Amino acid sequence: MRRLTQGNEAVFRGAVAAGANYYAGYPISPSTEILNVASGWAAQHPDFRFLQAEDEIASANAIIGASLAGAKAFTATSGPGFSLMQEAVGYAQKVGVPCVFVNVQRVGPATGMPTMPGQGDVMQVRYGSTGDYSPIAFYPNGVAEAFRVTVEAFNAAEESRSPVVILSDTFIGHLNEVVDLDEAAAGIRVAPRTIPPLGQHEPGKPRFFAGVLMYEHGPNAGEPATADADEYLRQYYETKHRHAEVAQRYALYEHGWNTDASVLIICYGIVSRVAAPLAADYALFRPIRIHPLLADEIRAIADRYEQIVCIEANDGQYADMVELALHREVKRVPLLGGRVSLEAVRDGLARVLSGGPSEPPIPPVPVESAERSPLGIG
Amino acid sequence: MPELALAELDFKRRLKVDLFPTIWCPGCGIGTIMIQLAMVLDEMGLDETNTIIVSGIGCTGRMGSYLKHESVYTLHGRTLPVAEAIKAVQPDMNVIVVSGDGDTASIGGNHLIHAIRRNARLTVLCNNNEIYGLTGGQTGPTTPTGTKTLSSPAGNPNTPINLQGLVRNSPHALYAKTTVYHLLHMRNAIREAIAHDGFSFVDITSQCIENNGRRIGFASANEMLTFYRKTYKRAAKDAEQLAPFEIGVLHPRDRGAPAANGSSQAAAPETGPAAEPVAKPRPAVDDAEKARRRADSQRRLALMQQLDPAVKLQVAKGELTLADALRAAGIDPESAA
Repeated sequence: MRRLTQGNEAVFRGAVAAGANYYAGYPISPSTEILNVASGWAAQHPDFRFLQAEDEIASANAIIGASLAGAKAFTATSGPGFSLMQEAVGYAQKVGVPCVFVNVQRVGPATGMPTMPGQGDVMQVRYGSTGDYSPIAFYPNGVAEAFRVTVEAFNAAEESRSPVVILSDTFIGHLNEVVDLDEAAAGIRVAPRTIPPLGQHEPGKPRFFAGVLMYEHGPNAGEPATADADEYLRQYYETKHRHAEVAQRYALYEHGWNTDASVLIICYGIVSRVAAPLAADYALFRPIRIHPLLADEIRAIADRYEQIVCIEANDGQYADMVELALHREVKRVPLLGGRVSLEAVRDGLARVLSGGPSEPPIPPVPVESAERSPLGIG
Repeated sequence: MPELALAELDFKRRLKVDLFPTIWCPGCGIGTIMIQLAMVLDEMGLDETNTIIVSGIGCTGRMGSYLKHESVYTLHGRTLPVAEAIKAVQPDMNVIVVSGDGDTASIGGNHLIHAIRRNARLTVLCNNNEIYGLTGGQTGPTTPTGTKTLSSPAGNPNTPINLQGLVRNSPHALYAKTTVYHLLHMRNAIREAIAHDGFSFVDITSQCIENNGRRIGFASANEMLTFYRKTYKRAAKDAEQLAPFEIGVLHPRDRGAPAANGSSQAAAPETGPAAEPVAKPRPAVDDAEKARRRADSQRRLALMQQLDPAVKLQVAKGELTLADALRAAGIDPESAA
């Protein structure tokens, strides 16, 4: 049925379509609707377990426990909550726990601008937890895509046996579009569980899921390997190669707009929607699987364009990665402080394409006699 | 104690004895807790198919790796959210959390408060050695006021956390206090805690001789155990509250039906699997039965003593039955009768 649906709700519906049956979360703008919808769903579906946790640390660890116990589990939060979850993300990476984290981004750092859209957590997803790991993450730019991408995120989590992140932002999360999610749900592929639930192990061989490095095979199996680099290398590269192989199956991106133009715009999420009126004048590369970097895909098209401009609601986080992959200059238009608007995009493009700096002109400090702005709205 | 011999053979089925010796320091109390837990698990019929162990970081956290159970060794302080979620997804499983005082009450303190509030159907065994042992002996949340530690060289200036008050704040939770000296009491407390349908917490005072005891004036682990023997007394059976240095099991204040919001159930009325306790404590046995068991155990011990140590280990691991081992060694099973 075609229905006005919110981006956050579409994420939840996608999770259920992918077989999710456990949600743990803590209220935080702008992701709270996912928690609300989950609690309502749980009230009507006793097989779907719901936990309103005491904090995001508990939420993240609860979905790990739920996943090990056999559920397809997920949580949703925003930047500050995602910061609290980072240790658990690393644990899920180390132990190999399939689960899904949704981060509906706002403007940080810290409490920042809680109701305004930002994309400042792109590199937090990549490097937020301690140690080396290889995360897979997606970033949709619409309601129907949020649904599809969530299904793919759950599938990728199972296949890679790792925590997969769905990035969103205030505007995508709160975007309302008329979509038919029932139609979208028809014919989707749902990956089965890849690790046997707790209690369903090989008889006589109970497992020990540990965040600490343990020997997995051989005469020392079951003992700590906390000072053995060989064992670390075996496990690290096995995981890294598995993640890369699975990520390759989900190399989702959009290359479009005017592909004969001389300037390629790279943007994702809400920025790609806001900048869409410029489609006639620019080419677009929009990564949907935002991690790992779609390096080969970008390299394959980059040579066609004289200039590359990365427009993002952060200070050039994705641009840094693209620049490293291409070894050529990538201009940046940062849309900071929640100012994600067509005007800001136009002004920024005009500035950087004419050789100007990426930094926008900074408005002067208001004088004492200026009119008071009561709600913090600039 | 010959009467322990039988139990000894049986409970070892619950342990990965091939990983022994454990990493714990000589004189540590954690091994004692693990043995008592293994005994209770064995006698309650709890095994790897129906019981999951969740442990945290710290010396006690390593207990999970020695128990023959599916086990999750969580991040520091995060045992309870993980355990609560496991119980929610698999309500028929017994979920037992083993962790130290620092993991449970300090870094995991917030989760403890809320697991109690939600009456999560878990059993928590807290190895309360009043110190951060693994890191060398820093002040923990249960370190008594005035105790000198590495991080409070002038004596701990703070009041220890009141675990009893915290747990008893919930009308549905069971709180038990015991020590590593009082083995039978500890087993009873663990048994009642596992059988309790709701949140249960066993606060086990235990000795850390290496990183606490010596610094505060004990010469050996034995001295610490003697101290527990002399200072800890059983509380009255109907006690509503345990005084300092009293051991006992405090049943929930509300003996009626537990609240409907237990263990992360959906907000809906409880339509999920019934919250029946999975295991009940054994019925009391009479003196004649006890005498028969003691005789049986002594007979078995006498037989075992005739066996080669390597064969004994095989029997303990369950790879060989005692009857087969005796037959192979050419010993008449009736000879010790």
